[in-house]
Parts: sequence; C-alpha cells; structure tokens
Amino acid sequence: MDTSIWRALFYLVGIMAFAGLNAAYLGWCERKGAARIQRRIGPCEAGYGGLWQPLADGLKLMSKQLLVPQGVDGIIFRLAPVLAMVPAITSMVVIPFSENIQARAMELSVLLLFALASLGMLAILLGGWASGNKYAIISSARAVSQNLAYEIPMLVTVITVVMISGSMNLREIAIDQQGGFWHWNIFRLENGHFLTMWISFIIFFICSVAETNRAPFDMAEAESELVAGFMTEYGSMGFGLFMMGEYLNIVVGACLTATLFLGGWDCPFGLTPGVWWFLIKIYVLIFTFIWIRWTYPRTQIYRLLNLSWKILIPFSLANLLITAALIKVF
Amino acid sequence: MNGYWSDIFIGSKSLVTGLLITAREFFKPVVTEQYPYEVPTMTPLFRGHIELIGNEETGAPNCVVCGMCQRACPSECISLDGKKAEGGKGKVLISYMLDFTKCSLCGSCVESCNFNALRFSKEYNLASFDKNDFIMDLLKRLEDQNRCKQ
Amino acid sequence: MQTIVCQTTAAPALFTAEGMVGVIFLLTVTLVLTGAVIAVNAQRLVRAVAGLAICFTGLAGVYYFLLSPFLAMMQLLIYVGAVSILIAFGIMMADPEEKRGVGMKNRSPLAGPLAFSTGALMFAALTVLGLKTQWQVFPRQGTFDIKAVGMALLTTHSLVFELISIVLLLAIIGALVLAQRGRN
Repeated sequence: MDTSIWRALFYLVGIMAFAGLNAAYLGWCERKGAARIQRRIGPCEAGYGGLWQPLADGLKLMSKQLLVPQGVDGIIFRLAPVLAMVPAITSMVVIPFSENIQARAMELSVLLLFALASLGMLAILLGGWASGNKYAIISSARAVSQNLAYEIPMLVTVITVVMISGSMNLREIAIDQQGGFWHWNIFRLENGHFLTMWISFIIFFICSVAETNRAPFDMAEAESELVAGFMTEYGSMGFGLFMMGEYLNIVVGACLTATLFLGGWDCPFGLTPGVWWFLIKIYVLIFTFIWIRWTYPRTQIYRLLNLSWKILIPFSLANLLITAALIKVF
Repeated sequence: MNGYWSDIFIGSKSLVTGLLITAREFFKPVVTEQYPYEVPTMTPLFRGHIELIGNEETGAPNCVVCGMCQRACPSECISLDGKKAEGGKGKVLISYMLDFTKCSLCGSCVESCNFNALRFSKEYNLASFDKNDFIMDLLKRLEDQNRCKQ
Repeated sequence: MQTIVCQTTAAPALFTAEGMVGVIFLLTVTLVLTGAVIAVNAQRLVRAVAGLAICFTGLAGVYYFLLSPFLAMMQLLIYVGAVSILIAFGIMMADPEEKRGVGMKNRSPLAGPLAFSTGALMFAALTVLGLKTQWQVFPRQGTFDIKAVGMALLTTHSLVFELISIVLLLAIIGALVLAQRGRN
C-alpha cells in the first residue's frame, strides 16, 4: 500500500469533506423529505430550494453562545459532543467506497466499526449525565439500554455475513460479492443463502435504525416526553455536533449495510462498477431512513426492548445456525 | 408462543402498509399555501374588523349616526360622532373610531345596524409593532376606498 | 501489515514513519496512565468511569502495538463499549447525587501504607521480571487471519473458552436470582 504522506492527507481532507457535506445536507434532505411526505414544500427561502439552509443553520449555531449551565459537570459536558462526532468520522476510514477508494483496508474493519459505534454510545451517556438534568439522565439510560439490546442481534447478523465471506475485511466482503446482484449477500444464490440472508438484512437494518437513535426508535430524544433528551441542556454548536454525529452515524450505517449486504460498489447488472453505485446505494438507504422516520410514530421503550429480545435476537440466532448449516451442507 | 407469529406477521404487514401510504403521499402535489407568494381569497363569510358601507353613487357613508352599534358593542370599542346635516334633516357622520384592540369580532354592531351601514371587511393582514395602529378611523378608511374606486 | 515495530537501537528521527509510530506509542501509554490516574483520583464516580474508559482505549492502542489488532478491537468493543458503559449505567441508576469522600472518615490507619506497599511491591516485582526476562522478538505475521483466531479458540484454548462461558452462565443465573429476590 502506498504510504506517502499525500495519500494520508488526501484521505483526511476527503473524509472530512464527505462527512461535513453529509452532516450538513442530510439535515436539508431530512427536512425536504419530511415536507414532501407531509405534502409541504419545506425549506425554500435560503437560496434555490433552500439549498443554503445548512449554511444558514451552521452560521446561526456557531454564532450562538456556548452556554454551560450551572451545576453541570463542565469537562464532560464540553467533551461529550466531540466524543459523539469523532467515532463517526473515524469510522469512515475503513469504508470501501470503491475498489480503489478506501483509506485503510484494515483486516478487522467490521469489528472496528462496531467498536467505534459503542464509543458513540458513551458520548450520549456521559453527555446526558453531565447535564445534571432529570430528562437528560432518563434519556441516556434509555439510549444505553436500547443500544445494548440492539447491538446483540446486529453483531449476530454480521457474523452470518462474516461466515459467508470468510473475512472481517469490508473490502474483501465487498469483493466477494462482485458480479451482479445474485452475488450480493442479500440475494446470494450460492449455497442457497438467499433463503435466510434477506432476514439477516432486515434484522440488520432495523438494528441500524435503532443504533442511530432514529425514529421510530428515538427514545433518547423523545420530544414529547423528555424535552430533547440528552441534548436538553445543549445549545449552539454542542447541539450541532450531536446532530452532525447522528447524521454521520446514519451515513456510516448505510455504508455498512451497503457493503455487507448490497455488494458495495458492485453494479446490479455487472455494468461499470464504481463509486457511483456505492453512493447510489447509500443514498437510497439513507432515504429509507428518512422515509421510515416520517412514517412511523415513536414506540414505547418496553415494546422496543421486547422487539429486540423477543423477536430480533431469537431470529438472528436461528439465522446464524441455518447459515452455518447451509455453508457446511453445500 | 400464543400470538407470537401472528404478531410478527400482522406487524410487518402494517409496517409495509404505512410505508406505502407515505410513499404515495410523497409524489402527490403540495397542499400547503405559500402565503407571502400566494395570497388567499377570503370566503364571503370571513369576519374581519368592521368597516363602513358607502352609498354606491355618492360614496358618503350610509350611517345615520343612530348610535345603535355603539350601544350594542359589549366591549365599548366603537366611538362615533355626528353633526346636524346642513340643510336636510338627520345627522352626518364626522368621525367613526374603532378600537380594534378591544374588539372580539362578535358582530353585534353589524347585526344591530338597521341602515346597511356596517359590514365585516375582508382584511386579514393585521400585524403591527404599534398598538395605536389598531385604533382605526373607519371614516378615513371609507374615503380611501372611495378614492381607490375612482 | 498493521504496525511497524521500532526495532532499531538508536532513537529514530521524529519525522520518519518509525518516529511517528514512536510518538503514537507514547500517546497511547500516556492515555493509559492518565486514564488510570483519573479513575483513581476522581471525586465523582462518573468521571472515574470516564477515566477508566480512557485507560481502556489506551490499552487497546498498546494491544495494537503488540501486533494483536483483534484483541485491541475486542478491548474497545467490550471494555470501552460495554463494561464502562454498564458501570456508568449502574452508577447513574444507583445514586444521582454522589457523596464525596465516602468511607474516608473512619478508615483504618493501616489502609494507606498497606495499599502503598502492595502497589510498590507489585511494581518492583514487575520491574524485576521485565528486566530479568530474555525478551525474544516475534516475527511479524503476514496477515491477520480470522480463521486462525477461531481455530485457536475452539481447539488450543477450548477449555478456557468453555470455562469462561460457565462463568458467564453463573453470572446470568446470579443476576436472575438477585432480580427474583428484589421482586419479592
């Protein structure tokens, strides 16, 4: 692998730009999507079709005072938003955008992504606790129990993919699925994996919605019950960083889903594979995230945990066994 | 296990139904009105603040200064004044002030008027930084309307 | 493929690959030490947990330097991602207003010296061990192999693996018993 300093710098700047643009414009996409679903127009004042809206929002957030209320744990309160943002950006390092665009083809990239995702959870927990606010603490407790519950089925479904590809390297998993959609893990014809892998895909997708604390699983920032959850005491860019972290987590989740199940940069019909197919896939997935958010109301925390413990975990375990059997039998 | 599988099945089905509904709505045209760019037309029964009705030919107010509206108003927001008409009989209106800050748009004044001199306006752009803007001189308003007509 | 271990005797220049690796190694060690000091000295329990998380993160870095990326990732995933969070969770559930200096008033006069001497003894023993041992340099392995880890866990170390699962089973049963008692 080329170890020149320019390569590192190029990827650093590229990843930062990709992350920043996504964090800014997914907010716009979200608002536009919500507006379309509710048959409104959405942001339209700032620039053509409201395209300058993220810039205006960013300027507003940055020019506001970074208020640290009395009685909060100052250091942790200031650090938590950063901790929410950093793992999300770091995750981008191992994502294979195409055959040649990947900052680091790490052997254990799948594991790294999950390790970093759990750091993001720590940010929510510490941020909520440091606020010294009842709503924030309740929200952190919910977020943590939810994330722990959904990490299990997620990891178990990932194991099925790892077993099929025989690697924990995202790049190799993607290469393994090249050559048309019938090679993708979700519809894989080989060994009859299509029988169970679509269930894996659905479980994985539900879990990634839950892991990113998106509606209908946004228990952590349930506006109607908990003001704004762990973000209650945060204003200005502290709030902004949490929001950006949330959107980046969505991007990472979509990238992971696209790589693990949808063949990465592979074209469904074997034509011109490349980074554009990867981008198309992740934006379709992100659109689905937005679509889901504006379709379903928020669930209750009990139902949420029941869904994970009673349905997703048994199903993912059964799935794991069947997949292993299929690999062994054929 | 009772109901476990049916819960999963019915639940998934209802989730898909929900997604399909929002997907359908996504492609339907916008229903909201883009207010500053699109001005709505008011319905005939819209109740704005009251205004005086002018004579269709002369443009002079129909009001005969009987004072019924003033008496009918529960919140005392109408104050009007008239003087003896020059030559003819009856009175001529010289001022008609409406204190819209107190008005609750009950419409008692319009009901009590026997001379077809009062009606609801179609005005809905009512916003100001100054409270005094809502103490309205309806006579002046009528004059302005007459001028606009010509 | 993962790291470049500095094996030269002379200190390399700072702006070479080896030099940067050295700086990063020092950073991870600093993380471990800082985290440990915060964990021990913090007045608030949650800060101590945050210190513990920092310490674990540094430790993951050290594992990475020891050519064991799998262990490093597991350290992050399990210790930072699960253990620290569960401890913090427990603290938040238990007592929102932490009492400062709990148990500091009526402690035994021997506690300080005893703890200190234990620590000193431990440190001395490890130092002696580190200095006496003939360290041998393991050759860098070509690529990391997830299959090798799986084979090792289920053949060479299968007894340990099973014992750990028994420990986990006991922990689950214990938690169930405690929860049942709490309900009655």
